[in-house]
Amino acid sequence: MESSILDSIGSEIIGVMTPVSLCMLLVVLLVYSLSPSEQSLSGASDPFRTAANLVYLERPDDSSTQKLEGAVLNALVFVILIAIVTFLLVLLYYYNFTNFLKNYVRFSAFFVLGTMGGSIFLSIIQQFSIPVDAFTCFVLLFNFTIVGVLSLFSGGIPILLRQAYMVCMGIIMAAWFTNLPEWTTWALLLALALYDLFAVLAPGGPLKLLVELASSRDEELPALVYEARPTVSENERNRRSGLRFLLGGVSDSGSVELQVVSRDNADGRENHGNPEYSAVNVGTFGNEMHERSSDEVERLPLVGHLRDGFSSSGSSSDRSTSVNRENEIVMEEEMSPLVDMSLSGNNRQQASDSLENSLITDRGIRLGLGDFIFYSVLVGRAAMYDLMTVYACYLAIISGLGCTLILLSVCRRALPALPISITLGVLFYFLTRLLMEPFVVGTTTNLLMF
Amino acid sequence: MTVAAGIGYALIALGPSLSLFVAVISKKPFLILTVLSSTLLWLISLIVLSGIWRAFLPLKSTTWWPFALLIISSVGFQEGLRVLFWKVYKRLEDTLDAFADRVGKPRLFLTDKMQIALAGGLGHGVAHAVFFCLSLLTPAFGPATFYVDRCPQMPFFLISAIIALAFVTIHTFSMVIAFNGYAEGNTTDQYFVPVVHLVAGMVVKSAFARCFCLLSQKFSLLRILFLIVLKNCQLSPETALVVFVWLNVLCHACSF
Repeated sequence: MESSILDSIGSEIIGVMTPVSLCMLLVVLLVYSLSPSEQSLSGASDPFRTAANLVYLERPDDSSTQKLEGAVLNALVFVILIAIVTFLLVLLYYYNFTNFLKNYVRFSAFFVLGTMGGSIFLSIIQQFSIPVDAFTCFVLLFNFTIVGVLSLFSGGIPILLRQAYMVCMGIIMAAWFTNLPEWTTWALLLALALYDLFAVLAPGGPLKLLVELASSRDEELPALVYEARPTVSENERNRRSGLRFLLGGVSDSGSVELQVVSRDNADGRENHGNPEYSAVNVGTFGNEMHERSSDEVERLPLVGHLRDGFSSSGSSSDRSTSVNRENEIVMEEEMSPLVDMSLSGNNRQQASDSLENSLITDRGIRLGLGDFIFYSVLVGRAAMYDLMTVYACYLAIISGLGCTLILLSVCRRALPALPISITLGVLFYFLTRLLMEPFVVGTTTNLLMF
Repeated sequence: MTVAAGIGYALIALGPSLSLFVAVISKKPFLILTVLSSTLLWLISLIVLSGIWRAFLPLKSTTWWPFALLIISSVGFQEGLRVLFWKVYKRLEDTLDAFADRVGKPRLFLTDKMQIALAGGLGHGVAHAVFFCLSLLTPAFGPATFYVDRCPQMPFFLISAIIALAFVTIHTFSMVIAFNGYAEGNTTDQYFVPVVHLVAGMVVKSAFARCFCLLSQKFSLLRILFLIVLKNCQLSPETALVVFVWLNVLCHACSF
């Protein structure tokens, strides 16, 4: 029976939503399991001063206006700090201190995983009375941290491990942020959503500058970014030569294209949207979120046809194509054409190999780690109130993320992932807390359900 | 009453929907997206309803008609939303068919359409279970339990879990029936769904029924619903038998 389109539509969106959901779930579990102990620690004593608390330390007995003003000031100071640091990052990147940046990111990952992750592990061990001795704990933590640091920018690490470490870092940072007092957290989230909007879209925004710099140099950003596509990582040089070969290979023979397609699909991937990302391009990609722009692809007729055949659901291409039948026939073939063709000449084999490499190394949707963190902070803060708010905020964030992904496929440039989700999340939190909860609790305890 | 009991209640309410999710829906990403969007829609409808009714809460009334009004307005609103969902689905179906033509794949099969309807219904059901049952379960993980005046024979958590289970089934299958009814223009089916929803809501409200009597009425409703679904869809005989037997057992167990 022929497979229907329902099998494959939407898998990229799910590929991004799954780690976000997992991160939020684990942060909620952490908050629920660790919150009693944290309250006992920092309840009566002074809350510790952090970068987000510089101006105003919230105490439970302050008046509402005082809390509001203090929270807004805190948020403003934090956003200014973040903006300064981002501009510094852009400056360093502009002057080609890329290695320094990469090492700094590695050091900060080591710090996050080691110390903050370590303190979370210690509280978990304390909370659940897990019998483990200090030396084992230290060795395990050390191994965990080192592998995490290694998985960041090096090649040869399985993508699943890198994705897992990204999610871990997101969880650890979000759990740390949930220690902040309540009003400050909400003010901070809203301020960061606004900042993200300006930083990525406004002409002078630091993130926009960073993205443009990185794309003009055709390099990977030295930042913590979650990639949602299983790829074999190769280094940049190989990829670039592969791209050039692709350009060359297309003019030689179209069959090279089709070979790779059959090989690609014989990999067992159900998702037929893959070759869309095999764009021949030096398109934009940013640390917030992006996917390959395929404008250049349209100029090459064969590759364009290929792309048409496998456009994913979000694609906005309207071109009708007559090459679909060919492509479909190719898809059903086994790998034998590749073998035949590769035997016929070195040239072709080289081209197909590099094509394969370039196709496999191409990246899918990327989501910055800051987005993971602040989504989870919102849901974690909702978890401190009630489970109903957690679910409502989760749905709001996921729908905001879905909207952003759809916008991304329409606009095809780097987009901020925070504003829509955070706005919806905050809105749903307050609506649920003020309106829905009394209603639902009242009706349920009277056994009125619909 | 301890973590085990809490997890037990959660599984009573959500067990079948979890197995349905894992078996049917998790294989196709589009269905997962459908579940999420229908859950969101149900949540929005609940927020709007609570916004409207907020001024009148808490309903400390001994007469039954404010409650009846609440139920009727809520059910009416949700059924209206189902019609809206159907219209959006029609447009989506056209987009998907156009995309299928462009890509050279076959158009949506009947099973695909039913799976989308199932996913939509499951989204509604899961939303109901989470908001009316799971979100109130947090005290159940602690050392004590809670009884309500209306039904002092069973802990409140157990009642809400079983009722949530019934409603999950009702929501899931009524979406399938409703979509089938709208597609074929079958008015019996179209009116059957809101009526069942309303009756289910009112039955639960009934202040004069014994607890078990209440639950058995729910499950006999479910049996009728299930027979209608069987008539319309082509379920595999094993699935049909299993679900029917399970419903029967529950019904008889509750009505002894």
